[in-house]
Amino acid sequence: MTGVPGVDAPVVPGVDAPVVHDVDAPMARGVDAPVAHDVAMPGAPRPWGPVATWTVRAMGVAAVVCTALTVWLGLWVTPPDAVQHDLVRLVYLHPPIAWVALYLAFGTAGLASVLWLWPRTRSALWDRLAAAAVEVGTVFTALTLVTGSIWGRPTWGVWWAWDARLTSTALLLVLQLGYLALRRVPGDPDTRARRCAVAALVTAADVPIVHFSVVWWRTLHQQATVLNANLSPTIHGSMAWTLLLGFVAVTLAFGWMLAVRYRIEALSAAAEEAELGAALAERRAEGLAVGSGAAPAGGPDTALLHGALATAGQPQATDAEALCPDAGHPVAVESDAGQPAAVRLGSAAAERAQ
Amino acid sequence: MSYIDAGYAIGLGTLAAYGALLWVRRRRLERAVARSAGQEP
Repeated sequence: MTGVPGVDAPVVPGVDAPVVHDVDAPMARGVDAPVAHDVAMPGAPRPWGPVATWTVRAMGVAAVVCTALTVWLGLWVTPPDAVQHDLVRLVYLHPPIAWVALYLAFGTAGLASVLWLWPRTRSALWDRLAAAAVEVGTVFTALTLVTGSIWGRPTWGVWWAWDARLTSTALLLVLQLGYLALRRVPGDPDTRARRCAVAALVTAADVPIVHFSVVWWRTLHQQATVLNANLSPTIHGSMAWTLLLGFVAVTLAFGWMLAVRYRIEALSAAAEEAELGAALAERRAEGLAVGSGAAPAGGPDTALLHGALATAGQPQATDAEALCPDAGHPVAVESDAGQPAAVRLGSAAAERAQ
Repeated sequence: MSYIDAGYAIGLGTLAAYGALLWVRRRRLERAVARSAGQEP
């Protein structure tokens, strides 16, 4: 890992200086490494093949069909409940959404985070998958709270109660939002991925608490209807089949959203890589032009550094300043004699002005 | 509007809107990547 591409000096330990990948080098990790016949952007993910495209489309269409069937069965075909009357119709929507929010999204995010943290399986794929699963899961968790609240108002008489199930679910939503915020904190990709993987595991630890909250504490929320201790659902007839179809519909919707969100994550990473590559190429060209005309030993990157140092005293940003958005982070670079010289990015311009 | 209508409208409407947003974002990014690729020699 180097602070400036092509310069073989380590980043100062403990400093989260952004890493700029070499333009010509494939991505260090991940299955989306560029292929020769692929798009020319460095690090660009491969386009979806026909099988993947067909699968994702089929999943999306199946999700829409199953959802439409669930709505039809839930609102017009199934009978009202003896106790809840028509409010039981919300049960065809709320538990399936909660199923995705709690188990699918966080199962995926937790597993992907463990696979990222384990050095043998570490890959950018797992980081992106976890990020995609948490974002989709956040939408489902928010909907779990909203649809539950809409059901709770006529049933319990209140929109919200500080019940163990509700509170632990709200805590889950807060943790998810924290994960998404953490993901936007600038830093090198590995550091960000490590932070986020740990955060995802902390968040996933809340899932068993949410699940068992109705067992461990006396709560307003009813106990599990389907995934109960005896694994014998306490719902039957057309209601049970409608609920099952609701689970299938929402699971398919989650699968489609996860695939598309993952694709967005991979494309965004490629776009960032391309921007950095373009900036680096531009600065290299400028560095060569500013220099004496003859590239010093060490290749074009050293020439760039020579060019940048030669312009000291002029109000011109160095290559590293232009490339590193986290101005102010110290990065070690090699001088002519091979001795490390600390260049404080961002403050370098002020020092030169003095 | 009953609680049931509100629940279905908010639940399914949000999922539909989020799905559409994802689809649009993916399309835009794929086009941007393809455009960049086309500019390269």
